Amino acid sequence: MNTGFSAEELAFQSEVRAFLRDYRNVDGFYCQGHQWPQVRALFAAMAEKNWLALSWPREHGGLGKGPVFEYILWNEVAYARAARNPLAAGIVAHTIIRHGTPAQQQTWLPRIRSGEVHFSLCYSEPEAGSDLAALRLRADRSRAGSHYVLNGQKCWQSYAQDMDYLWVLARSGTQDSRGRGLSLFICDKQTLGITVSPLPTVDGDQLNEVFFDSVEIPLDQRIGEENGAWPIVGEALADERHIQFPPGRLRRDLEELVAWLNSHDLGNDPVVRHRMANLTAQVMEAEALGLKVLEAMVRGRNAAVDAAMNKVIHTVTCQDIARAVLDFGGPEALVSGCRPELIWRQSLTETIGGGTTEIMRSMVARQLLGLSA
Amino acid sequence: MDFELNEDQQAILESVQRLLDQNAGPARAIALNKEQRYDDALHQQLEDSGFSSIFHNFAENGKPAGLEAALVVEAIARAGGVVAAGAQILVAPAVSNEPISGPIVMCTEDNLAKPVPLRYGAHAKTLIVLGDSKAYVIPLAAGEMAPVRTSFGYPMGRLVDIDRFQSPEKPGETLSTDAVGTMTNWWRLSLAVEAVGTMDAALQHTVAYLKQRRQFGRTIGSFQAVQHRLSHCAIQLEASRWLVREAAFHGAQREAVAAAAAFALDSADLLFTETHQLSGAVGFTCEFDLHVWSMRLLALRQELNGVAGARRDLVEARWGQRGK
Repeated sequence: MNTGFSAEELAFQSEVRAFLRDYRNVDGFYCQGHQWPQVRALFAAMAEKNWLALSWPREHGGLGKGPVFEYILWNEVAYARAARNPLAAGIVAHTIIRHGTPAQQQTWLPRIRSGEVHFSLCYSEPEAGSDLAALRLRADRSRAGSHYVLNGQKCWQSYAQDMDYLWVLARSGTQDSRGRGLSLFICDKQTLGITVSPLPTVDGDQLNEVFFDSVEIPLDQRIGEENGAWPIVGEALADERHIQFPPGRLRRDLEELVAWLNSHDLGNDPVVRHRMANLTAQVMEAEALGLKVLEAMVRGRNAAVDAAMNKVIHTVTCQDIARAVLDFGGPEALVSGCRPELIWRQSLTETIGGGTTEIMRSMVARQLLGLSA
Repeated sequence: MDFELNEDQQAILESVQRLLDQNAGPARAIALNKEQRYDDALHQQLEDSGFSSIFHNFAENGKPAGLEAALVVEAIARAGGVVAAGAQILVAPAVSNEPISGPIVMCTEDNLAKPVPLRYGAHAKTLIVLGDSKAYVIPLAAGEMAPVRTSFGYPMGRLVDIDRFQSPEKPGETLSTDAVGTMTNWWRLSLAVEAVGTMDAALQHTVAYLKQRRQFGRTIGSFQAVQHRLSHCAIQLEASRWLVREAAFHGAQREAVAAAAAFALDSADLLFTETHQLSGAVGFTCEFDLHVWSMRLLALRQELNGVAGARRDLVEARWGQRGK
């Protein structure tokens, strides 16, 4: 057993840290909605080093590095508060590499690798949140069979207001076909019939609703087989397990809280110290579980249960830190935009997005403990 | 012993509820909060109909009507009223027999030197200040408080011109020495009372949604794991409600108040977390009314040192100060 990184991996970590020094004020991890031009510029700079394609196979223009390098990269980016890992270079690109036609690979991969195009994930719908297989957005072939026509609604999409393309999961089979009747599409956000509307959130930020009104999508923008998207979606999520919840974010949250406590002479309060000890242990726990997910990926094992446990620990810790930030911050922490409020605000939806805590716990119950549904 | 409300108390509750049904509610709270406004109309109606002065007007044999006043404040909080109900209906009459012009906000003496965001601050006409050995009632001039941007469910403001408060002799009226303890207890209790009404509404809103929201072919509320968590919330709420009412009934004695506030404000955090988590993504959007109450729960926890302050007070009330 060796939980450390190799010399080559550590050298890469140093390189990433040096690179990020110029981006320490981007704050895109917390404020992507307000900082998108800066985040986009960061991704463009990363693209110059081909880091957006760090783990892609060389034959697709990638660097062919393994999950450890990817983990190091996005963990450092999270610690620097610079950005969240982009959907395009992750889920979208990996899916196109695995299931796209050679023409689709030629069309999309260079544009993603260069940071030219960015995607928003369009999965959830008003009646299909945790129960994704219940989604209703229709994708029907036109009478002539020359394209698909999409009709329906998506909701709760993060950052859709800024992205160029939508990665859309739609029902091409009958309504009762559940997961067997779904297909994946790439939709240019500017296509006639697509409307993105803001859904203001309680923290002063926004999610989005996306409406599809007779939206015509060319056949060659369906990725994978018709009605074959369900396993592809699961596979794509599995690709991201080691970088979706980087513990660097928690470490940084904790460090900011400690700095704030010291600057307010609260560091010696025994009640504060007791709580900080618990939070520190939780962060270390999340770091350990994050590495366990990574190790499973490196060995090619199914990391689903490890990832579910990691997601629960990570997001609950994130909210526990945020709760402490509010409690210690007092009334001043209620001011919109101040740092404590921002840390708290950014923790709010973590236990919902990317699979709720409840879904993760059910997965652990079934797959680890063998309890029946 | 009788935990049932008597006829008078029921009549008060029904009467204030009728007023609130017409003049409060989540839609109105959202509209007012959007513009950081105070509900002057509701404030006036509460005064005109006597609810604001219930503490003294319903006193019996010299015993103030603390419980009745608490019931009114709880109902206002449940309705999401954008009025400084706790300060006006519970705290001000407890520290002064004379009417105090509202809206009233409360702060500690430390906050005069180092101002913090105060609920309803930007709209306040009177500031009641809690010091270590004295309490003060200070009329405020227009412009002495500036609005503070927040998403925590109340319009807020903070003092901007603090020079006139810095001398040992404060402007306005200095209250009797007894007022310090009285104000501490009623202020703390008012936070707990508002938390109870607010938790109640947040839980009801969530339960109603989970009874109709379907996933995996059934309502979310039919999952046993979800039911257990909602039950836990309901238990914490009911325990808070009765601790708070008991403390109000007995005239806000320090230990009972501290226990009620510690428990209710601790429960407020649980209710915030669980109602949002179980509502899912829609719970974080402004179109779902949960935020009207849930965000307030977190703001209430910030006043008067929140849960930590209540716990310290409880320990001191029960076992005395450290080293004594």
